[in-house]
Amino acid sequence: MAKTIRFRIKRQAGKGAPVRWDVFDVPYQDNANVISCLMEVRKNPVTTDGAAVEPPAWEAACLEEVCGTCTMVINGRVRQACTALVDEVGVQKGDVIEISLEPMTKFPLVRDLIVDRAKMFESLIQVKAWVPIDGSYDLGMAPAQDDEVRKLRYELSRCMTCGCCMEACPQYSDKSSFIGPAPIGQALLFNLHPVGQTLQGERLETLSDEGGVTGCGNAQNCVKVCPNGVPLTQSIAEINRQTTVHKFKKWFGLTA
Amino acid sequence: MASYKTLEFDVLVIGAGGAGLRAAIEASAAGAKVGVVSKSLLGKAHTVMAEGGVAASIGNVDDRDNWRVHFSDTMRGGQYLNNPRMAEIHAKEAPARVLELEAWGALFDRTKDGRILQRNFGGHKFPRLAHVGDRTGLEMIRTLQDHAIHKQIDFHMECTVVTLLKHDGRVTGAFGYYREHGQFVVIRANAIVLATGGIGKSFSITSNSWEYTADGHALAYRAGADLMDMEFVQFHPTGMVWPPSVRGILVTEGVRGEGGVLRNSQGKRFMFDDIPDLYKNQTAKDEEEGWRYVTGDKDANRPPELLTRDHVARCINREVKEGRGSPHGGVYLDIAWIKEKIPNAQEHIKKKLPSMYHQFKELAGVDITTEAMEVGPTCHYVMGGVRVDAETQMSTVPGLFAAGECAAGLHGANRLGGNSLSDLLVFGKRAGEHAAAFALGQTGPFPDANAQVADAAAWAEEPFARDQNGDNPFRVQHDLQAMMHAKVGIVRIDSEMREALDDLKSLGERSLAAPVSGNRDFNPGWHTAMDMRNMLTVAEAVTLAAVERQESRGAHFRDDFPAKDPEAAKFNIVLRQGSDGAMQVVRTPVVARTDEQDAVIKEMG
Repeated sequence: MAKTIRFRIKRQAGKGAPVRWDVFDVPYQDNANVISCLMEVRKNPVTTDGAAVEPPAWEAACLEEVCGTCTMVINGRVRQACTALVDEVGVQKGDVIEISLEPMTKFPLVRDLIVDRAKMFESLIQVKAWVPIDGSYDLGMAPAQDDEVRKLRYELSRCMTCGCCMEACPQYSDKSSFIGPAPIGQALLFNLHPVGQTLQGERLETLSDEGGVTGCGNAQNCVKVCPNGVPLTQSIAEINRQTTVHKFKKWFGLTA
Repeated sequence: MASYKTLEFDVLVIGAGGAGLRAAIEASAAGAKVGVVSKSLLGKAHTVMAEGGVAASIGNVDDRDNWRVHFSDTMRGGQYLNNPRMAEIHAKEAPARVLELEAWGALFDRTKDGRILQRNFGGHKFPRLAHVGDRTGLEMIRTLQDHAIHKQIDFHMECTVVTLLKHDGRVTGAFGYYREHGQFVVIRANAIVLATGGIGKSFSITSNSWEYTADGHALAYRAGADLMDMEFVQFHPTGMVWPPSVRGILVTEGVRGEGGVLRNSQGKRFMFDDIPDLYKNQTAKDEEEGWRYVTGDKDANRPPELLTRDHVARCINREVKEGRGSPHGGVYLDIAWIKEKIPNAQEHIKKKLPSMYHQFKELAGVDITTEAMEVGPTCHYVMGGVRVDAETQMSTVPGLFAAGECAAGLHGANRLGGNSLSDLLVFGKRAGEHAAAFALGQTGPFPDANAQVADAAAWAEEPFARDQNGDNPFRVQHDLQAMMHAKVGIVRIDSEMREALDDLKSLGERSLAAPVSGNRDFNPGWHTAMDMRNMLTVAEAVTLAAVERQESRGAHFRDDFPAKDPEAAKFNIVLRQGSDGAMQVVRTPVVARTDEQDAVIKEMG
């Protein structure tokens, strides 16, 4: 039985350019994943109609789901392509396994399956996701942390800015100002840092403004698609609580 | 002439992995205007894949540890070809760099009393690697990235540098292109830090990611800088070989430590066939004894699968070369067999090797508790790189600095695990600091570079004008990788390397004739054509250095000279471009150790 893997790939030369769907057949291979198939397509980019086309553009780096570069929408679900096993994600119809590939929709399209995720870094700057320490001097050991806090920070630190949660969030789009789940998780990560805490007030100001934490519609898609299990809904709830406390403190003049 | 965009900085950092980000942060803190260009996306550089940890003698787990022990471990690992001053600086400054990273928000696994936990690793006398699970690289990159984006540093992602610009012998900028649309960019800067990582993509099986096309090595070489120690390329014996997307990804030694055995296509446990005399007394005489060793019997000797990395890699290489390999060009690594020995073997394997179980399950759909893995040697790291000043990281070209994997000196003939992440932090910081000082000391406007820019642009556009019926750049790249893996790989011999030098000439000619179709708009064929020059340059450097070193030392193994030669311990091999354009090979005396350094090494044994 000669099985075939059939890819429908959304092609677009850039934002606003005409859309076309190319279909490529790849002979079935044991243990194949989407990236290994895209490598096959690149070697011989001829569609099932026999048209020789430019190879589809996609990007990948670590190939072991550590970096998040190869994030795309595979059969309707956003995930990393390097761990998308054909046997698991494909839809089998007779001897053909069908897989559709599309770029993420929440970021500006660059080309084909590649998008520009610069917005994710801009939002990290917006929420001041860093510890404002400068210079190189002997800082000594960091203060010991409560074990529960440490565990939560550990989970939050696993974010690899891949964009899955932003893509899956119904509230995050061009039409809304909602900052999205990932930066809220990272704001919490730094609010829980002994020195990072010094910017907590500023982070909460940003996140209580328009586009902040109240933009969340509680669809909870973000946690379902996060490949690293970052506790995003928990972060949003906690930041929501922190912004409320922050507001009260402000009303009563307890904070600058 | 082609149109281009112009940027101006005091310091330009090329590469946004650990070394590049650390250099950029430091240069920015010193008051320099800093730009960073990287081929990949911010936060996705190869550093992200580092698993083991970062070596620093903080002494949290064993308080006998200190810089002196770390220094002497590093020198021993490097077989004393290291630059001793770099090894000393590294050992002394690594703890402060790790603690600083922690202060910036990096998480580490903890000891019971809340301090940074440190783990044992090959070649380190005491538990020394600060780590967070098996994702230390990601945590480092995330922390450095979060810090750097808040520092007024100008990032240009997915941008490749093609040529460095020079004036009066010093660097004055770089010329490159954006991968997305092919637009040319001229970046003027008074100091440049190369932080481009390694060269793994010159070999067919590598754990390195696609960016590792030796760009920094080759840019420096063409700018007139020295390369050094290029014969020392580290191979790991077990990398995944199938499916193609995971080819080269590391399979930890832990699999063999838990009882995993290597078999060829005939089902034979071939590691018993060749046990070096030196290790005969410490190696199990049969399978039964090997099993007793991995289950904790202190009276048993280790199975031959746990002989040195280099030896295991060579044995696998032999099986494949002699036609006894697995279908995809490796051999079988089998841990599932232990079900013959213990009940609940499947659960036991999952518990002992969770990340390997998931790696094979998620990336390849292979269940290692029931089936054998296919593995083969994979190119992992290059000890060689740009020859730099130990204090400042400046190369022999004024204004040109290098840090991290693309710099030479710290690791000598072989690198200890964990020393690469500390290398990035210690020397990334130093390179940034000194690059800023150098740049801020320059006065006056940037000198005219129009002629150099025009040449570089013409060179970059030329592949489109070639006869379109020629070879394609991917095929030339593929052939280069296969050739280097076969002839200048794990086991080297003079005759094969001479062939390799001839092959490199013809590959060079094919590369110059391989046409690129279309235009510069996101064109992977063109990107490969641009990278090929670097890969060819460095392949030649590795081969010439490997021919010159007629002994076996560290990561360099010569079939025709299997022993160490005391005379060869006295020199490093330097490669530089001669006035005729040909690559020159120069033996250079190893940097002498101070009396104090010698005393430390003697004291530590």
